[in-house]
Amino acid sequence: MLSDPIDSPTSAPTRRPSSPAPTQPILEVIDATHAYDGVVALENVTVTAAPGEFLTILGESGSGKTTLLRLISGLEKPYRIGALRLGGVDVREVPAFLRDCTTVFQNYALFPHLTVGANVEYGLKVRGIAAAERRTRARQALELVQLADMYDRKIHQLSGGQRQRVALARALVPQPAILLLDEPLGALDEKLRVDMQVELLELQKRLGMTFIYITHSQEEALTMSDRIILMRKGKIEQEGPPTTIFDRPVSSFAARFMGVENCFDAELTGVSGSDALIRVGDHHLIGRWSGRKPPKAGAKVAVGIRAERLRLARAAPTGPDLNVLPCRGGGAIYKGKYLDRAVETDVAPMKARIWDASAADGEPSCVWWRKDDCIVMEP
Amino acid sequence: MTSLSRSDTSAPSPRRPFAKRLLDGLSPSRLAVPVFLLSWSFLVLAPLVVIVLFSFLQVKAYRVVYVPTLDTWVSLIDSGRWMTAVRTLRIGLTMTVIELLLAFPFALWLAKGCKSKTFKSVIITLLTIPFFLDASSRIIVWRSILGTNGAINTALMSLGITDSPIDWLLYSEFAVHFGLLGTHFPTMVFPIFMSIALIDDDYIQASQDLGAGPAQTLFNIILPMALPGIVAGIVFTLVPLMAAFVEPQLLGGGFVDLLGNSVNSALQQLKYPTAAALSTVVVALLGLCLVVLILVTRKRHDMASMFMAIRR
Repeated sequence: MLSDPIDSPTSAPTRRPSSPAPTQPILEVIDATHAYDGVVALENVTVTAAPGEFLTILGESGSGKTTLLRLISGLEKPYRIGALRLGGVDVREVPAFLRDCTTVFQNYALFPHLTVGANVEYGLKVRGIAAAERRTRARQALELVQLADMYDRKIHQLSGGQRQRVALARALVPQPAILLLDEPLGALDEKLRVDMQVELLELQKRLGMTFIYITHSQEEALTMSDRIILMRKGKIEQEGPPTTIFDRPVSSFAARFMGVENCFDAELTGVSGSDALIRVGDHHLIGRWSGRKPPKAGAKVAVGIRAERLRLARAAPTGPDLNVLPCRGGGAIYKGKYLDRAVETDVAPMKARIWDASAADGEPSCVWWRKDDCIVMEP
Repeated sequence: MTSLSRSDTSAPSPRRPFAKRLLDGLSPSRLAVPVFLLSWSFLVLAPLVVIVLFSFLQVKAYRVVYVPTLDTWVSLIDSGRWMTAVRTLRIGLTMTVIELLLAFPFALWLAKGCKSKTFKSVIITLLTIPFFLDASSRIIVWRSILGTNGAINTALMSLGITDSPIDWLLYSEFAVHFGLLGTHFPTMVFPIFMSIALIDDDYIQASQDLGAGPAQTLFNIILPMALPGIVAGIVFTLVPLMAAFVEPQLLGGGFVDLLGNSVNSALQQLKYPTAAALSTVVVALLGLCLVVLILVTRKRHDMASMFMAIRR
C-alpha cells in the first residue's frame, strides 16, 4: 500500500523488539502540502506512526513541524493531502473536535477561568460524562502527573512546570489514540526539562499511547524517541531511529543539526563498497557513505566528523583505515566536563574534544580519525 | 579623600528644585486616589446629593423655598408618574436584552470571524456614527419612513400587501424600541468586542482539540472569558437607556413617556423639584439594576480573578 521510499523498514520501532511486527499504522499522513499566505510550510510530506510509537518531529523554527501537527489535530486544513488516516479512518473532512487525538500546546493554553480540576475534566465534560466519573478520572490523571493535591487551585497560582503537567493531564484524560505534543518542554528551565523528559518517556511506556512529539532540540529527540523525523523547510530531510540519525546523517544539514562539529566540502573520487574515497585540496581521505542516493565519482560531497572522534597526536599514526592531517594548534575552550581544542589544518579549522584535560598539554602536530567516523554525505 | 566622596553620595543634593523633589516623592496611587476622589465628588457626587436634596424643596413664584416638604414626591405618585418609572425600567431592560442578543454574535464575528483588517476597521468606524451624529437629526428621519404616509406604508400599499397603512409603526412603543436600537448598539458591541478580541485563539483551539463542538466552546470558553466585556456592555447600554428622551419624544408621539422625557418637560416648565425627584428615581433604579447585576455575576464568577486571567 505504501510505496513511498520514506516508509522504509527503518520506520519500525527499534527500542521495542518485543512489540509485534508492524501492524496497521495508527497515523498516516500521505503527501501533505500546506501554505500560509503563499509561503509553503509543508511540501509533499508523508508521515506514518505505529501504535505505541514515540515519534519525534525535529526541526528548527519554520521547518513546518508545527504545521504538520496542526494538520493531524485538525486545527489546520491542509491545502492538499493525499490521505490522512487516524487508526485507519479517513479524517480529512472530520473537524478537530471529533478527531481521536489531543494536543499539549506549546504555551499550554490552560483555561484561565477554570480551576486545575475543571481544566483536566474539560475533555470529559464536553463528551457528556457524568460529574462523579469526571472527577475520579481527573484525579487519577492528576495523580499520574504528581499533582493530585492541586485539584482546586487556579491556573495562575501554578508554576511553569506545574502548568505543563496540568496540560499533559488534560490532554491524557480523554484517552486519545494519539497524543500530540508541541514543544511541551520549551518553556521550562534546564533541570526541569531533563526531569520531565524522563517522566514523559515513562508515562508513554506505561500508557502505551502513541506520542507525536515536536521539538527543536536534538538532545531531546535523541533521548526520548523511537524514531525521529528531521524536517527542513517543509520537507523531510531524514527519518530513522535516533542512532541512525545521530551516526549516519544523510546531508550536511542533518549533520550540523545533529551536532557534528567538523563539516567541510570535498570531492568524491571513487567508491568501493561502503567506502567513499574523497579529495580535499591535495589531501586524500577515506570515509563511509551515508547519503540517500548511491554516490557518483566526481560529485561534490560534504564530510563530517564529530569532535569526540578526532584525535590529536605529536606523531602521525599509520594504519589502512586512518585519516591523518597535519595541523597547527589553536585555542582551547574549557567546557567543564571536557575541553574543546581548536586546530588549524590545510582542509578546514577543526575542533577536537579532549575528555582528559591533563592530556591537552603540548602542541599537536597532526589530527587523525578512523574511516568509520568519517561521514561522507550529500552537501 | 574617601570620606569626602562618601558624604557626596549619601547627602541629597541641596540644589535639587523643591517641586521636583515633591513630584518624585509622590507615588501614582498617592497622587491618583486623592485627585480622583476630590474631583469626582466635586463634579459628580455633589450635584447628585444636591439633586436628591432639591427634590424635597419647593419653587414658588420662581423662587426656591428652603423648607423641606414631601409635596413633590406625593404629587409624583398621585399624578401616576410612577407608571413612567416602571415603563422606563421595562423598556430599558428589554432594550438591553435585545441589544445584548444582537451585539454578542456580531461582536464575536467582528473579533474572531472577520479576517479582513480593512473591513474590520470600516465596521468599527461605522459603529461610531451614533456618537458623533446628533440623535434628533438621526431619529427624525424615521418619522418619514415609519409614518402612515411614510416610505414603508406607501411601499406596502402600492404592492398590495396591505389595504390601509399600518399605524403601529410610528408613535408607538415599537417605534421607540426601534429608534433606541441603533443608538445603543455600539455601546454594547464595543466592550464585548474588546473582551472577545483579547481571548487568545489558543484557548478556542485547545477547546476544539479536547473535543468540544462549536456550541460547547462558545458556552464553556468564550462566554465566561468575555463576561467582563458583557457586564461593561450592559452597564454602558442600560445607563443611557434609562435617561433616553430624544427617541421617546420624537417616535413615541406622547404615548410613550419615559423618565428622561418627564425630567425634560419638568425642566421646561421650571418645576425644578419635580425634575430633581424624577432624576433621583432614575439614579435609584440604575443603582438597583447595577446591584442586581453585580450579585448575579459574582455568584457565578469572581470578576477580579477574571481580569487577572485575561492579563495572564
